[in-house]
Amino acid sequence: MKITQQTTAHTLTLSLDGELDASSSVILDTELTKSEVLNHQKVLIDCQRLNYISSAGLGVFISHLQRFQDANVKLVFFNMQEKVHNVFEILGLDTLMTIVPSESEATAI
Amino acid sequence: MPSSQRLTATLLPLTLLSWVVLLVSTLLRAGSPTTASLPVPPDWVTLVAQAVFAAGVFMYYRLQPDPLRGTDFVGLFRRLVLGPGILASICVALHLLERFVQYQLPSSDRTFFAVIYTINLGLFILFLASTAYTWRSLVLFRSSGRLRREWELFEILLGGTLLFQLSGWELPTPLSLLVIGGLAIFGVYLSGNQKWVAYLNRRQKWEVVFMQLAILLCMTIFVAYFVRVQYDPKLIAPEPQHAFLLLTVFFAAFYAVMGLFVTFSNLPTAGVFEQKREEILSLQRLTQLIQRGQTEEDVYSMLFDATVQTVEADAAWLDVEARDEAYKGQRYHITEEQCTAIRGLLADYNLGHIEYLNNDLPHSSGFRGLELPFGSLIVMPLRSAKRQYGALYMLKNQPQGFDRENLGILQTFTSQTILSIENLQLVAASIQNERVQEELKIASTVQESLIPKDLPIDNWFEISSHALAAKEVGGDFYDFLHLPGQRLAILIGDVSGKGITAAFHMAQMKGIFHALMQENPLARNEREKFPVPSKFMAMANKALIHCLEKSSFITASLYIIDYENRGFVFARAGHCHTLYYHSIKEEVSYFHTAGLGLGIIRHDSYEKHIKNQFYDYNPGDVMVIYTDGIVEARGTNKEEYGEERLQQMLERTYYLEADEIKNMILEDLAEFSRGQPMHDDQTLLVIKFRASQPEPTV
Repeated sequence: MKITQQTTAHTLTLSLDGELDASSSVILDTELTKSEVLNHQKVLIDCQRLNYISSAGLGVFISHLQRFQDANVKLVFFNMQEKVHNVFEILGLDTLMTIVPSESEATAI
Repeated sequence: MPSSQRLTATLLPLTLLSWVVLLVSTLLRAGSPTTASLPVPPDWVTLVAQAVFAAGVFMYYRLQPDPLRGTDFVGLFRRLVLGPGILASICVALHLLERFVQYQLPSSDRTFFAVIYTINLGLFILFLASTAYTWRSLVLFRSSGRLRREWELFEILLGGTLLFQLSGWELPTPLSLLVIGGLAIFGVYLSGNQKWVAYLNRRQKWEVVFMQLAILLCMTIFVAYFVRVQYDPKLIAPEPQHAFLLLTVFFAAFYAVMGLFVTFSNLPTAGVFEQKREEILSLQRLTQLIQRGQTEEDVYSMLFDATVQTVEADAAWLDVEARDEAYKGQRYHITEEQCTAIRGLLADYNLGHIEYLNNDLPHSSGFRGLELPFGSLIVMPLRSAKRQYGALYMLKNQPQGFDRENLGILQTFTSQTILSIENLQLVAASIQNERVQEELKIASTVQESLIPKDLPIDNWFEISSHALAAKEVGGDFYDFLHLPGQRLAILIGDVSGKGITAAFHMAQMKGIFHALMQENPLARNEREKFPVPSKFMAMANKALIHCLEKSSFITASLYIIDYENRGFVFARAGHCHTLYYHSIKEEVSYFHTAGLGLGIIRHDSYEKHIKNQFYDYNPGDVMVIYTDGIVEARGTNKEEYGEERLQQMLERTYYLEADEIKNMILEDLAEFSRGQPMHDDQTLLVIKFRASQPEPTV
């Protein structure tokens, strides 16, 4: 799992590369727990290279969901592969989280 | 030994008797008025008596047990000085008495003189014998068998020579010089064996030097006496007697002088020996302490104290690169700023993490710039083959303060410490591992006990189940409950996370299931007696809010099948879609319903995210319920088994019995994931609704 960060004026983009399993989700959790993350208006998650997400990986997003909502920070996923999207969908997360097809749509929100 | 005791028993009277004979013969030879009438005994009587006496005394001392106790050399010398000291004092006292008597009552009577002379002779031989055998025990201290045999040979040769001297036969001068010279060289060679000196510390060496001087002084007193009386006009002893005594003295003095010389020349090395000894002792202490150390911090502190003490550092500090511990090292007589300055300088020269000794800091421009009071520095890294643990810095105020020895001892100390640290880590890791194993065992026991042992049996459906736990226990569970009116509730689910926490949440879900699926006595109509699946999920979500940690969630599906109404209702809370064979349509498909997992949102709005799905079943319909361990099982190319392949399997097998359908699916799954490790629990339930009514029992 490789996580690259990109910051613009109001947006933080995290690009996930690889498999988000029990061990790599710890790294992601550390990134999302940082207090400066909440200084942005939007946190975009680029899932183009995310090949797999385990329940531990889902758990990381779930555990930060409320915190982001409380801080009025939008969490947006984009470029999601179909099988990963399927996992979100089965769990019902697609109704809670914003998942859009492309980066341009993500920035437009 | 009884034989040596018997020998001693006969030796003593014989020796005493020979001394009496010696005394009498000397008195007779002195020719005092009282004995004038008696005949003067010939020389040989005196000489034989003396020979027997000397031989007896030496034999007596020879048979005594080794005077050396353990390595108490100082004690041995004390006893040696005390005995001969008294003997020499008696000798001096007697001689003075004699002189005094001579001065007060000048007479030509030689009786008194002869008595004193014989007593002193006896004392001197005692003195020589006791010193000779003390030397023997020192020479033979921790000696080889060869040295013992050489010593015995020396004793025989010396004894022979001395007794021969007493016989009065004179060898030609060159020959006698050759014999004496040969014996002397032999003596020097034997005297070279002074291993015991190494066992003394500096103070003890000084003590021994003084005691050896004292013994030599006693010897000198005796020799002075005998040399003096040799020329005394009153001398009545035969000539060979003196020659014998002087030769004995020559050899006895030999060892005393040699011992003195060796001890004296060993004095400067005493410091080095002591330092070595101290180092060995403190290493031993360190090893013992370290083994008692419970934490890494304990071990590092012990290393630090021991090294500061051993190399006598004026200032020191220890840097520890601990990965997660609060302990970062410690300082002694130095401030953090000074440490940082030196560290920075060493880093500039790239010397921070290598073994480094600088004994001339004042001449290093970089250190001069720091204006610190130190003259010497040692840097000793703490590392094993695997990793760097930190570094130890020792400072002394004066230049040339450390030597290679210090570097060596620090190396030994640090490697011992690293060994202990790694041992501690290994022990901790194995304890942790054991704990995890134990936890897994408990978790799998719990999980096993939660899975129903007996499947529900009725004549309107058949059911077949399969549950396989992954090595690291996952959180799959399922359960059944018969409800009144030929209804059956089936719950399947998956708790996120693994191990004992997952097992705990499974148990909770089972509890919630059994608690909520109780008939509500206040219900106004039949429908409200049991919660519908969506209501059940909403209540379960509420119950779980308080005990599920933030990043955990549970997926579940609850089915309530009603035989009387030929229908079922279910709700899917984030769990895998239900695969279904519709016998009327002859079609296999998934029920695609919406539904959020449990524990994801933790307020009342959850109810909006969960839906009930009703369906009227027909006999021959097949329902396949499973967990993600089935569809996410990996094949050789890391691809997943997938919903599609599962669907195809049911399309091929729907007409079979529930048990056979399950087996076919599992076989296909096993084929697909052959050789791949199992990552998650796998649970599969196949329910087939029976086509026919039950046959009435006859």
